[in-house]
Amino acid sequence: MSVFPDDLLYSREHMWVRVDGNITTVGITDYGQEKLGEILSIKLPKADSSVEQDEPFAVIESSKTVDELISPVSGDIISVNEDLSDDVGIINSDPYDTGWMIAVAIKDLSMLDNLLDSYEYGDYVDEEEEAV
Amino acid sequence: MEKWRIIPFNRFNAFENMAIDEAIFKESQKGNMPPTLRFYSWERNTVSIGYFQNAKREVNLDYCNENAIDVVRRPTGGKAVLHENDLTYSLVASEKNENFSFDIMETYRVISECLIGGLRRIGIEAEMMAEGRPRPRTKETIDAYCFSVPSQYELLVNGRKICGSAQVRAKGTFLQHGSILIDIDPVNTCSAIMIDDCDTENGPERLMKSVTSIRENIGDGVTIEGLCKGISENFKKRLNVQLVAGEITPEEDSLKKLLLQNKYATDLWNLEGKWKNGN
Repeated sequence: MSVFPDDLLYSREHMWVRVDGNITTVGITDYGQEKLGEILSIKLPKADSSVEQDEPFAVIESSKTVDELISPVSGDIISVNEDLSDDVGIINSDPYDTGWMIAVAIKDLSMLDNLLDSYEYGDYVDEEEEAV
Repeated sequence: MEKWRIIPFNRFNAFENMAIDEAIFKESQKGNMPPTLRFYSWERNTVSIGYFQNAKREVNLDYCNENAIDVVRRPTGGKAVLHENDLTYSLVASEKNENFSFDIMETYRVISECLIGGLRRIGIEAEMMAEGRPRPRTKETIDAYCFSVPSQYELLVNGRKICGSAQVRAKGTFLQHGSILIDIDPVNTCSAIMIDDCDTENGPERLMKSVTSIRENIGDGVTIEGLCKGISENFKKRLNVQLVAGEITPEEDSLKKLLLQNKYATDLWNLEGKWKNGN
């Protein structure tokens, strides 16, 4: 059973966003990591680059597939989780905390209106599950 | 009945093959293309490696160079394959297509069912691997070969793998690659791909305990066209779809040329996993 903390925002591409002023932290949701299975590798962008909302920002490999991760926000990347290069498995075991991926400084907070709260995201996941 | 596009069997070089598949995959993400099934082979012997593989560590690049074997990095995951005498397929479709699923393993299962029926039409009784076998994951062990270990729903004949497959997903669309072995040269395979314990005298013999081919099972009686036809017919029957023969669109062709130039024809991508306008 996947968990969706209610202090986060969520995208339909199964990414979560933690907002602290204009700094956002981004990772994959519990449902997203369960769907992928055992994570084997990840290719993240560099800390001095930028990301665009709804565009790919990283590539992840699991035991089942390679998947492009879609950024839930636009902005400048200020930090990348270097711990993932030592142990990518923390994305599976701790997706909302130590398994974070990038921190992004955003300029326009209104882009967060495109994201879902935990209840809306839970409903979205239920719909996707019913379609399987 | 849903119409799919089938791109009939053809041979291209390694770099074109991957550029064509990625162009179809990327154009399909825009949402206005039918599912596309493509069969192909390779003009020169080729080692294709998975998206995240380390070419310098997992492929014997000197051997490949000396023996005119191309090396190309796939957009899909998984491990290395020596395309020497195989039939490769690619299938691109939406995750929302009624025959498939958001569930990744379910997609593998459906496609494997289609392939099993196709192989049965040429006299091969394959079965799906019920549970994947874990790969040994120590830093000392190099097991770079796709056919060493079967994953769940991959195809076996008498417990030995005959077809390997891998996927990439993006923006609600998936691309699945698969390689069906028509014949295998275990010595060449062991030389080109870094496989644990394969460089020993009896390495090739041991390799053959995990892998088999069409020729080993039914001899030379089947042509590649016959194999394509058998598999196509079973896709139609199993999924109740109409396969309409077609070629790539002008948009796909333009994108293919761009991908060929900036990505697949470069050592930067094939050996290092980086590309121009990429990361």
